[in-house]
Amino acid sequence: MELAFLQLAATAYLVSALAFGAHVLWSVERAASAGPLLLGLGFLVHGVSIAWRTVDSGLVTVVGFAEGLSFFAWLVAGAWLVAQRRYSLSVIGAVVSPLAFALTLAAVILYTGGRAVPAQLMGPWLPVHVSLAFLGNAVFALAFAVSVIYLVQENALKSHRAGSVLNRLPSLEQLDRVNFTCLAWGFPLLTLGIMTGGLWAVADSGHFWSGEPREIFSVVLWVLYAGLLQLRFTRGLRGRRASLATMLGFAILVLAYLAVNVLPVAGRHGGGVLS
Amino acid sequence: MARGLLVYGINHHSAPVELRERLSVPEEALEQRLGELLEVPGVEEAVLLSTCNRVEMIACCAGDVSRGELLNTGLLADNGVAPELAEPHAYQHTGREAVRHLFRVASSLDSLVVGEPQILGQMKDQYLLSHGHSSTGPVLNRLFHKSFSVAKRVRSETGIASKSVSVASVAVDLAGKIFESLEGRTALLLGLGEIGEVTARQLLSAGVERLLVANRTLETALELARELDGTALPLERMADYLPLADLVIGCSGGGQLVMAAEVSAAVKERRHRPMFFIDLAVPRNFDPAINNVDGAYLYDVDDLASVINENKSSRRREATEGEVLVEQEVDSFWQWFEGLELVPTIVELRESVEIIRTTELMRTLDKMSLDEDSRERVDQMTRSMMNKLLHSPTSVLKEAGGSNEETGLLSAARRLFGLGDPET
Repeated sequence: MELAFLQLAATAYLVSALAFGAHVLWSVERAASAGPLLLGLGFLVHGVSIAWRTVDSGLVTVVGFAEGLSFFAWLVAGAWLVAQRRYSLSVIGAVVSPLAFALTLAAVILYTGGRAVPAQLMGPWLPVHVSLAFLGNAVFALAFAVSVIYLVQENALKSHRAGSVLNRLPSLEQLDRVNFTCLAWGFPLLTLGIMTGGLWAVADSGHFWSGEPREIFSVVLWVLYAGLLQLRFTRGLRGRRASLATMLGFAILVLAYLAVNVLPVAGRHGGGVLS
Repeated sequence: MARGLLVYGINHHSAPVELRERLSVPEEALEQRLGELLEVPGVEEAVLLSTCNRVEMIACCAGDVSRGELLNTGLLADNGVAPELAEPHAYQHTGREAVRHLFRVASSLDSLVVGEPQILGQMKDQYLLSHGHSSTGPVLNRLFHKSFSVAKRVRSETGIASKSVSVASVAVDLAGKIFESLEGRTALLLGLGEIGEVTARQLLSAGVERLLVANRTLETALELARELDGTALPLERMADYLPLADLVIGCSGGGQLVMAAEVSAAVKERRHRPMFFIDLAVPRNFDPAINNVDGAYLYDVDDLASVINENKSSRRREATEGEVLVEQEVDSFWQWFEGLELVPTIVELRESVEIIRTTELMRTLDKMSLDEDSRERVDQMTRSMMNKLLHSPTSVLKEAGGSNEETGLLSAARRLFGLGDPET
């Protein structure tokens, strides 16, 4: 059942992505409300799938790579849902829906069914650490989506193309502001994720730092996002450059996630899909 | 004779402005003109519509009305334009075409700028004037009220008015794609060109808070600044106040006034908050390289014109949907109007034949001694003869409803069947 709901969610994300594309790129008016609606629907169905798994495995959602992807996709869709209610920026769904689809599709393909949680990882820290880390990543993913839209809109304005794309996208300032808000939420979540991970590691093995690839990547990301926020505050970094930096940060985040999970490196953060 | 609808006039498609302005009807001449129109034989109701793009008379007539007389009384009157000069530019619509024309005019589908909102207001005003001079009746009252509601429908159900088609409003739209809101912004106007002033006014009404006016001669800048509640500044010290401006409008005759390097410095001083440059001057006031400065967006007259063209063609696309709506409404109005003429004639026709049938039937049956069943059969036979005979004229009349043939066929039917003049 869990897999069936996951497949259903992937389908909803796909159709949503097509509807967004039809509306934004080809001005199909009838698709205007379908995109957001289907993305929201996908989120609900996906939520059912995840709840199913959570109840089944007892509060632990994310163990394998596939579950991680699925949980991440769900949170990205959820972050979009919050942002679009808060800022009425449903058009960001044009980037979020294909992203959610790709992640969920990968989760469906890589689905392995239940996997037992290693006893050493069990404990109250696990859900807290995992949720915070994933939520932070999801907010960064939303920042990435906003940045993509920003660059598209800026490009349309600079090149004097007044077509449908320009008319359907929000103002540069608003996009920039939402990008900043996402960073301002993502950064503390990332920090808390790293801290809870560290504290958990201390409780588990006595070391805060064990030099796992995941830890190294997290620190790199933390430094990058900290620098980005710092430049925003002190130098007024904004607009195109801020968007490019946000996208770079997310690219590193994705690479790190893939590297940690796919490369045959042992550690608490799973890994070894290829091994 | 049957009633008909007629539109007769000239507009921006058919006549040059020189002729339109000579034929336009001043408000004080309206009452007399309408009075004369109503005296033209056959004219029952009339409305005169006179705007800068059109002069039209809309009339409800009984029977044939002389075109020449309408031209002379309604359009030419005493303004000294020879009929030979005006006639080739005049158009005439009758019946359904007249209804469609009026609906299209009200919906701004026939306007120079499709979707412009003024025409509806003008039409309402002019209709009320004619109404006030008691030149309208049940048909034109209904026609005009219907055309107002059609216009509303077209406006709300299609996008004919949704895209900006003037320089100033396109500039405001584009500003809205850069800035989240124009509230609290500062606009800088360089030079005192008229189009720049119009744009500045529109930006102010869209929420821009502060207006800086810079000009070579400070005195003239002061004048406009006072009028628009802005601040006048000397052009030479522009570098000092350029960073304050979120929007910069160039409409000075002074050639290139702002270079990319200056903008680059200004953007840095603004901590990279965006700047929007609108160059309305020819030769241009802003260095084209400004568009390459990060955070600066430059549109010149040609860029704005291409946006306007795109919006115009989008309006035209929407207009085809408007035409479909108009067509539906013409149908529904025409059904009502047709009913006014055709139904009484058809009813009368049936009644007169029915009288003949029953009289003749009685006369014959009285002379024969038939049982009830046979009487019934004879009655049935005459009835079906009547129906068969009337079927063709009735359906021809119904089909002719709204076409050019209608008036002729109606009067022919009345003559052929001896129905006399209608009571209406």
